[in-house]
Amino acid sequence: MDLKEVKRQIKELIDLMQGTQVSELEVERGGVRIKIRKDQMMSEGGHLVPQIPVPQDAQMKSSLLEGGPKAEQDDYTYIRSPIVGTFYRAPSPEAEPYVEVGEVVKKGQILCVVEAMKLMNEIESEVDGKIVEILVENARPVEYGESLFKIEPLKEPKS
Amino acid sequence: MFKKILIANRGEIALRIIRACKELGIKTVAIYSEVDRDSLHVRFADERVCVGPADASLSYRNIPNILSAAEITDAEAVHPGYGFLAENAHFPEACESAGIKFIGPSASSIALMGDKAKAREIMNQKGIPVIPGSQGKVNSEKEALQIAKEIAYPVIIKAAAGGGGRGLRVVNREEDMLKSLQTAQSEAKAAFGDGGVYIEKYFLEPRHIEVQILADEKGRTVYLGERDCSIQRRHQKILEESPSPVVDEVLRRELGRMAVEIAKAVGYVNAGTVEFLLDKNHAFYFIEMNTRIQVEHPVTEMVTGIDLIKEQIKIASARPLEYKQSDIRIHGHSIECRINAECPQKFTPSPGVITRYYPPGGYGVRVDSSAHVDCVISPHYDSMIAKLIVHGDDRDEAIARMRRALDEFVIEGIKTTIPLHKRILEDSGFIKSKVSTSFLERLLSNQENN
Repeated sequence: MDLKEVKRQIKELIDLMQGTQVSELEVERGGVRIKIRKDQMMSEGGHLVPQIPVPQDAQMKSSLLEGGPKAEQDDYTYIRSPIVGTFYRAPSPEAEPYVEVGEVVKKGQILCVVEAMKLMNEIESEVDGKIVEILVENARPVEYGESLFKIEPLKEPKS
Repeated sequence: MFKKILIANRGEIALRIIRACKELGIKTVAIYSEVDRDSLHVRFADERVCVGPADASLSYRNIPNILSAAEITDAEAVHPGYGFLAENAHFPEACESAGIKFIGPSASSIALMGDKAKAREIMNQKGIPVIPGSQGKVNSEKEALQIAKEIAYPVIIKAAAGGGGRGLRVVNREEDMLKSLQTAQSEAKAAFGDGGVYIEKYFLEPRHIEVQILADEKGRTVYLGERDCSIQRRHQKILEESPSPVVDEVLRRELGRMAVEIAKAVGYVNAGTVEFLLDKNHAFYFIEMNTRIQVEHPVTEMVTGIDLIKEQIKIASARPLEYKQSDIRIHGHSIECRINAECPQKFTPSPGVITRYYPPGGYGVRVDSSAHVDCVISPHYDSMIAKLIVHGDDRDEAIARMRRALDEFVIEGIKTTIPLHKRILEDSGFIKSKVSTSFLERLLSNQENN
């Protein structure tokens, strides 16, 4: 299959996926495998929270203040994006990523940049700890409050 | 025509804009704060981006985050709705720098009409009747006293950067002037960042009549009749209707032409509203111009048959207006009641969770709302739950229909102002339309005395 034909196949597959609930499609033809995945964050139904009754009174008030059901309840520290933009793991395309999974980072250390309106915003770690997981792929859009890194905070020796 | 629009607002107006976009085949991007995650406008948009926490200054008024949201979703245009950034002149400028089309007038129109004192001055210079008062901002205490003496008390001190019924202080006697002036200036500075004020004669029984205009990018401008918004509490509109029961064809044409003249004089584009005060003798005076779509726009839509939000979008995509002034006809009568989450006697806010919600329906009834069962009316944003709009062949039918609709409207879990609206619709003064902007205060104080 020549390049022109590959491009045509890709376009055909994209058109096929439009307006459907299909989020991922993989096809093998003529010795070429094409895989297309829809951006999950922005697709319909991506961020709908199940319709549960909102808890009353104090609980409601605190969840309103803290930002609702998205906050994870565990012992890890989540570094969240303070702005809307595009997440990059390295300061430039050719450079090495700021951090990798498993790396130990210090409070204030730069973990990534989020680019918004052509400005690069450096995101720092809020704690000393170990990077357990990087939650967003490079060059993906992120919204306010979206979790970027899962960090296991270093335990402070009790004195 | 745009392929994708970002709606920089929340609640009922965001939903309203999404509906118009959908019907035009335009994809929609909703923005939301963390506490609005479950809102209807978020659910019904094609895409959604969280832009900040509950505090509006960090979310719904956060220009960088909002423009960034437009960038990552490839939205071509932004509709600001009303409130929030709708009349912030920096926003259209920022949109332009980002290559995104702002659906509304130019930054300079917004800035010009946003300075209420300057707008007054310009209108005066152009021979448009304005309420007797200061020439632009008041520059000294001496000047304030002098002007007030000339025009005679009572007078009203208004914040130059205010508008929408905020930043107003009535002064009844000369003895109170200096103290009121100082208070008004510091209040204005605190609320709007600008302590500038101007003074106008305060009319005791005026009617508030506003004219809706639309202008395309070539400057073709039309008026779409008037709205009577005299039923107000503390300068906030509660109930609006179109046409005004006291405006006849001759006055309608006069007001309409004047509104068009004003819009053209400032090179206005898109939807706007010119507000007039009508005194007892039906002499009219320019108050201010609102450079945005208004809350009460539905009553104009019901009597003209024109979808104002769609028109805004079409104008912004450089389409010419599809009709001339002579094509615009007023049919029947429309009334809107703003239903707020407030105690109907004391008007204290009543935030909470809606446990039961059954909106009225049937012929000639429209409800613009993003409320639903289990929805949280939060203290972070304004307390309006729903707009109940009716249309009838004439005013009598509209009144009967609104009464019927109010009876059917079930909202439980929070207090609402539905009982207040029922009282207004039964009042003989309202029915005969012998009202002015002091009508509601009198009705309420009669209530207390009984």
